[in-house]
Amino acid sequence: MDAVLSVNGLSKRFSGLTAVAHVSFELGRGEILGLIGPNGAGKTTLVNLISGALEPSDGELVFEGRSIGGLPPFRRAHLGIGRTFQIMRPFPGLTVRDNVAVGALFGTGGGERDLAKARAIAHEKLDFVGLARVADRPADALGGPDRKRLELAKALAMNPRLLLLDEVMAGLNLSELEEVIAIIRKVRDGGVSVLVIEHVMKAIRSLSDRLLVLHHGEMIAEGTPEHVLEDPAVVEAYLGKRRE
Amino acid sequence: MRARVVVTLCVVVAVLLAGVPWIASPATIEFGINMLLLAALAQSWNIIGGYTGYPSFGNSVFYGLGSYGTAVAMLSWQLPFGVGLVVGAVIAVVFALLLGRAVLRLRGHYFAICTLGVAEVMTAIVSNLEITGRNQGLVLPLLKGNVLFYELSLALVVVATLVVWWIARSRFGFGLVAIRENEEAAASMGVDTTRYKIFAFAISAAIGAVAGGIHAYWITFIDPVSAFDIGLNVKMIIMAVFGGPGSILGPVVGAFVLSAISEVLSSEISTVAGLFFGIVIVVAVVFMPRGIADLLRRFHTYRWRYFAANVRATRV
Ligand SMILES: Nc1ncnc2c1ncn2[C@@H]1O[C@H](COP(=O)(O)OP(=O)(O)OP(=O)(O)O)[C@@H](O)[C@H]1O
Ligand SMILES: [Mg+2]
Repeated sequence: MDAVLSVNGLSKRFSGLTAVAHVSFELGRGEILGLIGPNGAGKTTLVNLISGALEPSDGELVFEGRSIGGLPPFRRAHLGIGRTFQIMRPFPGLTVRDNVAVGALFGTGGGERDLAKARAIAHEKLDFVGLARVADRPADALGGPDRKRLELAKALAMNPRLLLLDEVMAGLNLSELEEVIAIIRKVRDGGVSVLVIEHVMKAIRSLSDRLLVLHHGEMIAEGTPEHVLEDPAVVEAYLGKRRE
Repeated sequence: MRARVVVTLCVVVAVLLAGVPWIASPATIEFGINMLLLAALAQSWNIIGGYTGYPSFGNSVFYGLGSYGTAVAMLSWQLPFGVGLVVGAVIAVVFALLLGRAVLRLRGHYFAICTLGVAEVMTAIVSNLEITGRNQGLVLPLLKGNVLFYELSLALVVVATLVVWWIARSRFGFGLVAIRENEEAAASMGVDTTRYKIFAFAISAAIGAVAGGIHAYWITFIDPVSAFDIGLNVKMIIMAVFGGPGSILGPVVGAFVLSAISEVLSSEISTVAGLFFGIVIVVAVVFMPRGIADLLRRFHTYRWRYFAANVRATRV
């Protein structure tokens, strides 16, 4: 397997608390890797380490054969790492289209120079995630599910090679869920590698090629969804610290 | 279509303003110079405060550096006024690049307070340097007449507005607005936030410094306290915010309207003028917190509900 991302012994400590503890894994090209774990397991922290929003206390990150440790977030974005935020971060004062255009203007390879072209790309992505009808609205006028889609469209407009999705399916109803799953599959079919964090088991099981389980920052299981979800250690982690 | 009307209107207003010195009294021209310089300063603040979302109190420092840079260039180095303006601008830009690197890491109030401190420090430094005349200040050669200064000030407003117009429709401006709206998201999407913020600060500094240089030569006297006066920075903010921060014309309109109101008030009812001016500002902040620019954009759809909605939104 040709690894797009290699994570080697990655750790993050917050004054006493170890949020991510010596995690190692590889993500292959065009692979969808599911990342699950109870609340506070360290999933978002791991995404923050990969995107550069946080610096690791220890360990190494290699993206497409190149060490990216120490690079600021914008450089990693230029290299092709796109992400969404669990706590959504729209640009509230901009229209939905311009929110997405930012991704096209500054994304992979430094982005598109031309504003009109960037807006055209934005529109294409909005169409793709089903938000074209609200393209001219201010972003803060969107409701919850649409905001999730906006996060996704913004990351897609960057034309990423690695996409980090932090709970883009939370709070969606069943039919919306199906749509987003289909979207993520299509993105992958375009050659993008995807790391997807999700609590909705049904979604993660059908979507992921492989699953990775974090618990108290430690990786407690890795493998095919069927295999991992039967794993006694995983079952216990979830039963022992049940969410909701 | 609507954009073309606005542009035409702006050109007409600029041409009419350029003709004012030939028909107006000296007092009016003096009022005009002050108003135009404030408009240029409000516009310079608009770039860092309005577009980038960093509430700078350091812009009066750029103004002060421009004043002193121009004065020192003319007095100590015998350079012509035009070169002096450039010297002042270069000093301010270099200062902005260095200062920006340090303080643009801070956000919100922290940034504001830190830039405020810098203004105080600069006053102290300039008061103790030989070349800047210590706290006695500097006296520049007298150039009779106001017309040159008036036209230069007008030109500066035009240039500053063109710069903002370019920013508003450029990739650079897109990056600045993204920083204002959510810096972390902007960075994760590939905006080189540090560099963009520092550039915005530097452009803001260049405009502010030229305004300071023009003012220094016009007034022919500068001293540390008035050159680095925080009150001027407050005025820039009030005018930019009153007109509409993050809009192309708002700060200029804000400066014109507020200068006119304050002029009328101080000539009619001098004793309570300050109070009335304060009331105008408070009323404006409550009823139209996003400035005249936003009022004009939305009034035709919301009508009087616009004000009610703003009052509700600000919970006053
Ligand atoms: N900036 C921070 N400073 C201190 N502690 C933090 C910080 N960010 C996260 N943590 C802590 O690290 C642990 C892991 O948090 P993280 O957000 O990564 O969990 P998660 O797996 O994403 O949880 P959830 O499913 O609730 O989103 C938590 O205990 C959290 O409180
Ligand atoms: Mg999380």
